[in-house]
Amino acid sequence: MKGLLQNTWKHRAHVVMCLPAVLVLLFFNYVPMAGLVLAFKKFDYKLGIWGSPFNGLDNFKFLLASKNAFINMTTNTIKYYLIFIIVGTFLNVALAIAIDQLVFKRAGKIMQSIMIIPVFISYAAVQFIVYAYLNTEGGMINNLFGTSIRWYSEAGLWTIILTIVKMWNSVGYGSVLYMSALAGIDSEIYEAAEIDGADKWQQIINITLPSLVPMITIILLLSVGGIMRSDTGLFYQVTRNSGTLYSSTQVIDSYVLNAIFKNSNFGFVAATTFFQSIVGVVLIIGANKIVRKVAPENSLF
Amino acid sequence: MDTVKKVEIMDSVKKTKPEIRKKSRKKVGVGQYILTSLLAAYTVFCALPIILVFVSAFTDEKTLVTKGFSYFPAEFSLDGFNVVLRYGKQLIVSYGVTIGITTAGTLLGLLLMSMFAFALSRKDFRLRKILSIYLMIPMIFQGGQLASYIIFTSNYHMKDSIWLLILPLSVTTMNVIILRTYIQTSIPDELMDSARIDGAGEYRAFFQIAFPLMKPACAAVGFMMATTYWNDWQNALLYIDSNSKKPLQLLLINIQKSIETLLNSRNIPSTALAAMQGSIPQYSATMATVITVIGPIMIAYPFFQKYFIKGLTVGSVKG
Repeated sequence: MKGLLQNTWKHRAHVVMCLPAVLVLLFFNYVPMAGLVLAFKKFDYKLGIWGSPFNGLDNFKFLLASKNAFINMTTNTIKYYLIFIIVGTFLNVALAIAIDQLVFKRAGKIMQSIMIIPVFISYAAVQFIVYAYLNTEGGMINNLFGTSIRWYSEAGLWTIILTIVKMWNSVGYGSVLYMSALAGIDSEIYEAAEIDGADKWQQIINITLPSLVPMITIILLLSVGGIMRSDTGLFYQVTRNSGTLYSSTQVIDSYVLNAIFKNSNFGFVAATTFFQSIVGVVLIIGANKIVRKVAPENSLF
Repeated sequence: MDTVKKVEIMDSVKKTKPEIRKKSRKKVGVGQYILTSLLAAYTVFCALPIILVFVSAFTDEKTLVTKGFSYFPAEFSLDGFNVVLRYGKQLIVSYGVTIGITTAGTLLGLLLMSMFAFALSRKDFRLRKILSIYLMIPMIFQGGQLASYIIFTSNYHMKDSIWLLILPLSVTTMNVIILRTYIQTSIPDELMDSARIDGAGEYRAFFQIAFPLMKPACAAVGFMMATTYWNDWQNALLYIDSNSKKPLQLLLINIQKSIETLLNSRNIPSTALAAMQGSIPQYSATMATVITVIGPIMIAYPFFQKYFIKGLTVGSVKG
């Protein structure tokens, strides 16, 4: 203990350097964690979050009572998480390998630059672009195919629409990470494989893909904690927050955002966010445990 | 410390970077051309929506309303931009706010996170283990939107405060890890040791030696942070009320809302509505606004591209 104190005093300059960032994290990340206690309270604005009285599990009972809304948004959240992670990882890896295999390096670089651009456009702006395509009267898709589909009231189609928008937005950027891993593969391995008579596909399957496994594991692991969280802009902005689409587009995060604006029953919302946070932490710890058993070097902590 | 040695060490840093694999191929096969066309097709898919924004911003509003969105409009016009200029005052204010929070947030965040990362990279600093855990927890466990909202507004009384657009996004776990990994892999310990032998205190060692050497990592993280600040609409929508603090993204959202109310609130026949819309540029004006919002990032992006690709590479090494 004395050693620790001495060490800390010796490193007082480093402590001072840490302090501002530590305080920002404390006030804007840690205090809100304590705010989850709201799930067990009957919130009253006048009394504040700490002064409001406890009401036990009432909020959760309410959650179970109105379980249709809760189940709908939870399944939507998980549904989109799974679609995005499966389709996204597949496309990221495929694109990275494709660009890596391309002989025309310059063209590859230029194309990649263009593919990355969509990630820098905010969903508040993307919303207008999607509207230009899907607007019922004058939208480009309806115009082009002579149809008159009312896109903004066809809930069933939005799973596909949002997946396309999300992939358009993120795949170019996501592939960069995998490309950097690919650049690290020793070219001698490929040459040796070529001498042994392996063709391109065999090289990809036996050399390229296995070398990406650590990266894929880490990215999946990091994302699994976010299974209950979504890219709020995609579900709130791009759908224009349209009520008729909720059955297939309402996720927990967009529901909470709506609830805050409507000032609706915070108890129910608090119980939902509590559930959201707990599931996230349980999943990431569980996933990390599994990875630690299977491939310890890829685990997160 | 003599500069020659510093240059030498920096050179050795440069040399340690992974070299991009060179491939020697005898001839270009058919497969390569198929691959190129597939990639080109995907590139077009990525670019088309952005092109549409530009084309429709310059399309005549009447054409947009009667004939719909098209890549080859019958009539061009600058009316959209004229409308943007008409609500010019708010646009300038919003530009100011967005530029302000982007610069302030990025610079502040880079400074705080670099210092934090620097301290965490000192191997003999015993508190660093606890501090690393402290850093990791927010990535795994969050309070969520509702708790943050209530605490920021009712406990901190920060509703409508510009600081809520800056501080919550300024320190993020992932960025600190990227910076720390960069320090550990690219700034040799010997360099810091020799600085200390030469009598530099920790602050000088950081500000005069480590921080300048972190430029590539800072450029990468900084650009990503800047886009996050620039594109942040959610905090603005939740917390900002007054017009003088409204960033660009919130302005975009407000425009959409006002168009919607305009369209929903009137019970007029659709022909009359179309005629009326033709006289008030909406679609072209919105697209023109979208251009003013996404334009600066598009312009800045090519300059930072090489940095952030490198930065992502560095960050991918597990800390």
